[in-house]
Amino acid sequence: MENFGFAFEAGWQVVLVGVLLGAGLPAVFAAGIRSLAYAGGGATTSGADGGPAAAKPLGTVLAGACFLVVILGIVLGLTFILASGFGKELDFGSGIPTLVDKS
Amino acid sequence: MSESLVILLLVVAVALAFDFTNGFHDTGNAMATSISTGALAPRTAVLLSAALNLVGAFLSIEVALTVTNAVVEIQDSSGAPRSEYLTDGGSPLLLIVLAGLVGGIAWNLLTWLLGLPSSSSHALFGGLIGAAIAGLGWGGVNWLGNGEELDGVLGKVVLPALMSPVIAALVAALGTWLIYRITRGVAERFTERGFRWGQITTASLVSLAHGTNDAQKTMGVITLALLASGHWSDTASVPFWVKACCAISIAAGTWLGGWRIIRTLGKGLVEIESPQGLAAESSSAAIILASSHLGMALSTTHVATGSILGTGLGRPGAQVRWRVAGRMLVAWVVTLPAAAAVGAATWYLADLLGGGLGAVAVTLLLALGAAGMWWRAHHEPVGAHNVNDDWHEPSRPVPAAA
Repeated sequence: MENFGFAFEAGWQVVLVGVLLGAGLPAVFAAGIRSLAYAGGGATTSGADGGPAAAKPLGTVLAGACFLVVILGIVLGLTFILASGFGKELDFGSGIPTLVDKS
Repeated sequence: MSESLVILLLVVAVALAFDFTNGFHDTGNAMATSISTGALAPRTAVLLSAALNLVGAFLSIEVALTVTNAVVEIQDSSGAPRSEYLTDGGSPLLLIVLAGLVGGIAWNLLTWLLGLPSSSSHALFGGLIGAAIAGLGWGGVNWLGNGEELDGVLGKVVLPALMSPVIAALVAALGTWLIYRITRGVAERFTERGFRWGQITTASLVSLAHGTNDAQKTMGVITLALLASGHWSDTASVPFWVKACCAISIAAGTWLGGWRIIRTLGKGLVEIESPQGLAAESSSAAIILASSHLGMALSTTHVATGSILGTGLGRPGAQVRWRVAGRMLVAWVVTLPAAAAVGAATWYLADLLGGGLGAVAVTLLLALGAAGMWWRAHHEPVGAHNVNDDWHEPSRPVPAAA
């Protein structure tokens, strides 16, 4: 019944990656959208005094950072798909994803 | 024309037909959310998905020829067919593969007619298992694998099927909850456009991954048939025409759009908003890619369905239609044994009538059955025009608006 052990071992890693990338990246994306709204003075539908809030450049910077992280995540996914088609795989052993031949 | 050549041609044709059903059965996995939220027009969505499946299939430069090894024992570990089934120009092996494919297609068409998203890989594996039991006995099935990795019916089919929907639902629910928490109070003009783009991007990733994964299975099966009949000898590559035919077939199927299944996934299970669509497809993409990296063979359908269910659990106030979810669950459990039963019956019939004649007969029967289901589907057509209509549970009256 070694299969149960293997399934458990792969399973918790899938959960980990899923939470980090599958739920984490959308959350970062949402944070980016919130920053963008903050930058445009629209984080809430109106400012404290009822009128539109003032624009804030910090929001633009934050939004840019968030979207950059999301784009990196998408590029990682794309690289993975392309690599597996060419008989390569991503190796995360060194901390930085690198392409190696499929074992 | 020799008998084995006739069977070979039928295997190739039926395999491509399976690839086609695989395409339209799974369109909804990637595109149901984008279609139901209106991020993409229905026709645009299926066209985009079809194009990405085509590209994905052609990207499969290195194709594993050992696809059947997961569940049945008709090949050795290099991908070469086992020599004991190669008498009469490979007819014994070709007949098992043909019967397995017939079982897979029959179940794919029936679940499509009922609008149920069931796994195409389970249907194929089920058909092969049934045909192998009929043709080779219980020993012809790889039940548990060799104990060195996740393998066999238990490791490649049963365990991933139990785990992947649960993991997907969990991740998607968490993602949905986070998104709604973070964007609470943000004006709609910012959220709507952003989440639409996010949704389309992630759905595209799922489509591309589907093209590379699923088209490969049919490429592997056709190449196995060519190896068995002596028309191909290289176990390290796939003939180009096989790759091209499979790619075109899965893309054409996707383009047709399995509207019945798209409707169930996008409207029936949960009413989806754009942020939920993004959460569902991100969860699907991350889990499909992570598990294929870790050698866990899972079904795109199970992951996508689990993710969509999860977004219903994660959004405060969203309603999950548990009756629909229950019907899907039943279909998932039944898929493997049902396809196996059809596969086994098909093999017995073909064997009874004898090689070439039997193969022709079962292929004709399959074509008749497919035409019948197609005709039945046209009584209640579901297409791009009504895929997003309001969902009413047939057996329970809709409560009047309070």
